[in-house]
Amino acid sequence: MSPNHFESENKERWERLQQMLDKVEEKGAKENAGVEELPTLFRQVCHDLSLAQHRMYGTRLTDKLNALAISGYRVLERRISGGWERLADMVIREFPRAVQQERGLFWFCMAMFWLPFLFLAIWTPYDPEWAMAILGPEGMINMEMMYGTGTSPMDYMREEFGSNFGMFGFYIWNNVSIDLRTFAGGLFGGVGSIIIMLFNGAHIGAATGYVHHACNPETFYSFTSGHSAPELMGVVVSGMAGMRLGLSIVKPGPYDRKTALVLGGRKAFVLIMGAVMMTSFAAVIEGFWSANPMPPVIKYSFGAVMWAGTLAYLFLCGRRRDEA
Amino acid sequence: MSVTPFATTIDTLQPVELADGVEIHLRVAGPAVRSVAWLVDLLIFAGILLLWGVVVAFIASAVGEGIGSGLFLLGLFLVAWFYNVVFEMTARAATPGQRVMKIKVVSVSGAPLRLPQSLIRNLLRVIDFMPAAYLFGLICCLFTSRFQRLGDLVADTVVIYDDSKPVEPSAIQVNAEPHPPPQVLNRAEQAAILQFLERAPHWSDARKMELSDLLEPLTDRKGLGGLTRVCSMGLWLQKGGKK
Repeated sequence: MSPNHFESENKERWERLQQMLDKVEEKGAKENAGVEELPTLFRQVCHDLSLAQHRMYGTRLTDKLNALAISGYRVLERRISGGWERLADMVIREFPRAVQQERGLFWFCMAMFWLPFLFLAIWTPYDPEWAMAILGPEGMINMEMMYGTGTSPMDYMREEFGSNFGMFGFYIWNNVSIDLRTFAGGLFGGVGSIIIMLFNGAHIGAATGYVHHACNPETFYSFTSGHSAPELMGVVVSGMAGMRLGLSIVKPGPYDRKTALVLGGRKAFVLIMGAVMMTSFAAVIEGFWSANPMPPVIKYSFGAVMWAGTLAYLFLCGRRRDEA
Repeated sequence: MSVTPFATTIDTLQPVELADGVEIHLRVAGPAVRSVAWLVDLLIFAGILLLWGVVVAFIASAVGEGIGSGLFLLGLFLVAWFYNVVFEMTARAATPGQRVMKIKVVSVSGAPLRLPQSLIRNLLRVIDFMPAAYLFGLICCLFTSRFQRLGDLVADTVVIYDDSKPVEPSAIQVNAEPHPPPQVLNRAEQAAILQFLERAPHWSDARKMELSDLLEPLTDRKGLGGLTRVCSMGLWLQKGGKK
């Protein structure tokens, strides 16, 4: 059979498929007479393409059929995302489950963040030089302005509602971006994530220690207690996401590195999305709650509830019945 | 579904085998065309931020500076991290810059891009950008057969030319009579001659003859005579072995 003969014999079918695909792509799957014919037509075109390739009917014909097969495949493979239901499932089950499954990584990242934190927080009151070097002169001035010895937790820390929203925007931009960079840094075999976690822990630890050295700790703790749980655990979880990515390069297991990276990326994706969610939630609290002039007792109890809630969410949510 | 290993071809066609057993060819886009697309996007990106700054300045003058700076930073966060994601999730699967260059993002399997894939490849963009001007991304592109940067590798995506409707070349008249080749040719040889016949109209006469001269052992002559001979064989093959 000559290429021209082949083309003239099947042309009508190809055109019908093309028209059908155009219509579905333009108007969605709503307005479609005879759309149930689409899979059959697509499979026939796939068959025609293999024939044309095998019989060497020339690039003009194969290119045309190739393009037709690609757009057919695209339409048939189009998946409708789960929408809100899928999102809720990810928040309630998939994310906490992903954290629970990576127990080793979780404790590793906890250590990477909390060890430098605790060391500097405890050490600084005795020997503030390291903390001073980490914070720098500007950081120290900032700390003293916000939590200095002259302040009290009952002061209005922000004058108007507008600045609350301003701070919320800043926390989202700054803190969530750090999470995302921690995740991306994992691509260097996890080293990038580790460095960011260590530095983050050291910085926050230095600030905490410096408050004990030179400022009013009550102001500091009544401000930070509310949002500390989701924010700090968000840092740890984003570190887990980065490490999951890095480990799939360093230790690919039974797969080749490229496949391991794709599979690790899917797992890490759930973790980083969860971390972003936690940090954004922390930004809401930090922006709209933490600066309220309330007695420290209320602030501390709220903080305790947040810590209990955050840990319960990470460790208890999404557990399967048979494991509990 | 399996992706066949990269054949030793000199073009950028990437064969992919679909579940339906057929092999399609994706034309992957290289770093050069993607860089131009990125530059266009960079301009649009700057434009959006500028516009957002003006809008926020108006809002801030009405409701206060705190809300203004908060809004601006929120916008900056969304645009800086999710500019590409928003455009890649549209039906065209391409940012405005990529649309200008007629390229788009798809899964390695040729299937449409999904939201997690788009997020992964764009969150990892910061690494590809390092140490400056997408150096890591470029190096990675040059060492992978499908021109994938690091983000593409993790998300399992490729950037391809969006030629869903190829332009049909006009019919070409060749002044030669179909003639069988003097000896039986194998499939690769037949394919070479057929492709020569299809592509020849785009070349100068000197180039055509330069190539057909390589076939002197088959045609027994050089120059125009050889060229005509090759075309007759091609026509004969095209007609399926008939005069």
